Amino acid sequence: MAHSDHSLLTTEDIVIVGLEAATKEEATRQLAEKLFDDGRVTDLEGFLEDVAAREEQMNTGLPNGIGIPHARSAHVSTPSVAVGVSKFGVHFGAADGPANLIFLIGAPDTADDEHLHIIAALARKLVLDEFLDSLRNANNGAEIAQIITEGVHKR
Amino acid sequence: MKIVAVTSCITGIAHTYMAAEALEQAAKKAGHDITVETQGSAGSTAIPQATIDSADVVIFACDLDVKNKSRFNGKPFVQVGVTKVLADANSVIAQATEALASGKVPTLKVDSPASETSGAARATSTRTGFFARVFGKK
Repeated sequence: MAHSDHSLLTTEDIVIVGLEAATKEEATRQLAEKLFDDGRVTDLEGFLEDVAAREEQMNTGLPNGIGIPHARSAHVSTPSVAVGVSKFGVHFGAADGPANLIFLIGAPDTADDEHLHIIAALARKLVLDEFLDSLRNANNGAEIAQIITEGVHKR
Repeated sequence: MKIVAVTSCITGIAHTYMAAEALEQAAKKAGHDITVETQGSAGSTAIPQATIDSADVVIFACDLDVKNKSRFNGKPFVQVGVTKVLADANSVIAQATEALASGKVPTLKVDSPASETSGAARATSTRTGFFARVFGKK
């Protein structure tokens, strides 16, 4: 299968609209599989272990219905953010309820500042209500990828 | 009011930057000037010393030790976890301004830069001599 454009943080190939998962582990695995299938993660289980290790230190559920499981990992080849939109929500440990927007953030552990800037740029967007609303209102993965690309790459 | 802030988190790729943006938005909304230093993995640009010197209060929203913390010596400060900022940045800004208004806010006093890690040390290397004189030779 052809891979998507790895110079982009998010492409429609790594977005799941209508994500259904009972647990955060299940949601994270589904998104990680997208990254693996797209050639952005080289070792699925290894990457999931790194994400779980981070998650154990502190929940990554945040107010306003978002979850941001993430890791810097040797099993990630390019900075990537897989996005899941869940109708019913998945509990990521936030006090105010489940997350219906889930961002699985993977950064290569060797990445230099330049490469991580793009993830930092997205992180800043994740506290802006209008940005989150635009993602929630998107109709499909292509729109979500487009919103993220415009938000972080075109500045 | 002039605020300077430092944010950091365990992995250094997400919360650090989210908290910086949240603080900037909340400060702007409350009518304050703010300069945030993100001590994350995507590089850290040190706040100019003059900006620190002219600030009324410092907010440390950090889950890691602040790099080169002695730059902030003598400044009134509040310290919170980074997730507190993400939960409610407005209240963190309010906490800082109220603490300052109450006159009961502590001022920072940490040891000389000699004991501190490199990273941010570059930014203030010109002041090492000054601090060495003020705090005695180590």
